[in-house]
Amino acid sequence: MKKVIEVKNLTKKYKKIKAIDNLSFDVYEGEILGLLGPNGSGKSTTINTILSLLKFQSGSIKVFGKEMNTDSYDIKRNIGVVFQEVAVFEELDVYDNIDYFCGLYIKDKEKRKKYVLDAIDLVGLSDFKKFYPKQLSGGLLRRLNIACGIAHKPKLIFLDEPTVAVDPQSRNNILDGIKKLRDNGATIVYTTHYMEEVELLCDRIIILDKGNIIASGTSDELKTLAKIEEKVTVEINNLDDRTLEEIKEFKNVDEVSYTNNNLIITYKKGENNFSYLMDYLKKEKINYNKIYSERPTLNDVFLELTGKELRD
Amino acid sequence: MTVFKGFLKILNKCKGIVIMYTVMLLFFGGFTISTSDENSVNFSEDKPDILIINNDENSGITKNLISYIKENSNIIKIDNDEEKINDALFYRDINYVIYIPKNYRIDFLDNKNPKIEIKKVNDYNSSYANMILEKYLKVANIYKSEIDNENILIEKINDTLDEDVNVNITEKQNKSSLERMTFYYNFCNYSLLASIIYIVCLILSSFKNEKISKRTIISSMNYKKYNRILLLSSMLFAVCLWILYVILSFILIGDTLITLNGLGYIINSFVFTICALVIALFIGNLVTNKNAINGIVNVVALGSSFLCGSFVPVEFLPDSVLTVAHIFPSYYFIQNNEMLEKIKITSFGDLSKLFPNILIMITFIVIFIVIINIISKNKRKIG
Repeated sequence: MKKVIEVKNLTKKYKKIKAIDNLSFDVYEGEILGLLGPNGSGKSTTINTILSLLKFQSGSIKVFGKEMNTDSYDIKRNIGVVFQEVAVFEELDVYDNIDYFCGLYIKDKEKRKKYVLDAIDLVGLSDFKKFYPKQLSGGLLRRLNIACGIAHKPKLIFLDEPTVAVDPQSRNNILDGIKKLRDNGATIVYTTHYMEEVELLCDRIIILDKGNIIASGTSDELKTLAKIEEKVTVEINNLDDRTLEEIKEFKNVDEVSYTNNNLIITYKKGENNFSYLMDYLKKEKINYNKIYSERPTLNDVFLELTGKELRD
Repeated sequence: MTVFKGFLKILNKCKGIVIMYTVMLLFFGGFTISTSDENSVNFSEDKPDILIINNDENSGITKNLISYIKENSNIIKIDNDEEKINDALFYRDINYVIYIPKNYRIDFLDNKNPKIEIKKVNDYNSSYANMILEKYLKVANIYKSEIDNENILIEKINDTLDEDVNVNITEKQNKSSLERMTFYYNFCNYSLLASIIYIVCLILSSFKNEKISKRTIISSMNYKKYNRILLLSSMLFAVCLWILYVILSFILIGDTLITLNGLGYIINSFVFTICALVIALFIGNLVTNKNAINGIVNVVALGSSFLCGSFVPVEFLPDSVLTVAHIFPSYYFIQNNEMLEKIKITSFGDLSKLFPNILIMITFIVIFIVIINIISKNKRKIG
């Protein structure tokens, strides 16, 4: 596949602190690459460095096969960025804001008008064209922010945590919009610390921590890195120590914990772990409220690799 | 074009501010204009309030002296009580007291040079009263040395004192219009400065907002070109505002603007407009908080206008205030306006009298442009 971004041995320091440490990765045409990591892991710094908003100490960055620098206007023409912070004019309404930012790329008036309306439609702001930013809710404002970043139909889009502090309805709308952008042929670099979004959207994931890539691959590939294969949660009132000890002795069990009336059992591998547990609970006449089984999440992978949670 | 259109759209949102300062200019400028009549001659006779304590008989030369004083002043009647007289002087009920001694007439005619005592306060009217008395006594003494007959002496004195000096005005300079023009343009100092700083800073605070700037830097628009468009848009706004204010001065005051003095006001205000623009750009580069702009306009525009004589005539300002005012371009703008009121510009060469102050304003412009460039370069540096 054609490489859209090539990052090789990239190092970025803030004084003596390494924000990015010898980072190398590629982004391929038409994919959604998820940059996953906790706050301060270097996701935004990586994006800002690729966009030449930050200088870097060593390494190389190529976008569309060309070296990227501040004056690469031909490259920038095909890039769209949606930053974490909402960056719109308070004095302009929804339409004028999108029209302004689209106008920085598209000179043709008719073409721009069509692009602006497409962007408004994509993010679901058709009913709010004449609204000013301060009249919009947080979610709608985020949607406007996205529309301003992608209205010029770029081939490469950077989305830096676009769903932070967004209500569920707007989040779904934003995620649907991102899928549409991918379907229209855009390559997307998506940073977030919401693992569910990454699992839902991304074709490939890079997990960052302290400026290093600690794992990369598809969601399924990454989950194989977790030492557990299954996690069962049972809501039980008053579980005694004897029962807990007996469960710990079950086949394939990795860990057992009981907190806040929640019994969590993780299994290294194996089959029929769930039915075996159900049979045991029935035999011992232990009443429970809820019982469910999960596959390991990316958070478990992250926990496995770093010893801390993604949202730490 | 996109940036320029964006600028205009945001400017349109701020039009209320421009209207407010223009209305203030029209109201205050227009107010003084309507209260002064263009064709009136500004001469009015002012008479001092004089008390005469006559200890002599009211006849002959003494009577003539009192008649002359009466003709040229307001005679106030107060009892011959020193305490009451002192109170009247203190409260400015009278400006001047003349004590005519006993036997003044006889002593004067006998060349004994009798002394007239006076009592006065220190003001313009008492000086004027003194002048009236001195004038009479000088004329009387001159004729007394030549004429012994009292009746002829009085006749000669009266003939001389009755002579009027006729002043023929050979060329009438429209002083009243120039005064009004000066007042208008002095007030323009505030309206131009406040409008330009307010609007340019508000618009720049939007465009130079860190997040918006970031979005612009990563766009395909050349950032230097973007800054150039912003600069030119700001300049266009400032020049349009200046043209509006010049047109308003023409509507309010009339043909005076189509004289060389009028050209002086136009040139002077244009240079000051550019000065106000660079001050606005300087502040706009430093301040990104929109809430702070109102305070800054008050401090810079209102403060410098007060200190430099935009609202209060320069001659009424204390020296210490005017010394401080030297650090503001407004001072030099207003000084030129005041100069244009006092001198008649008869040739283009005469306009050079304005150059020293204009040069100082241009120096301010250059200094601010250098500072703005330094600030912009530092801001453009990427981390």
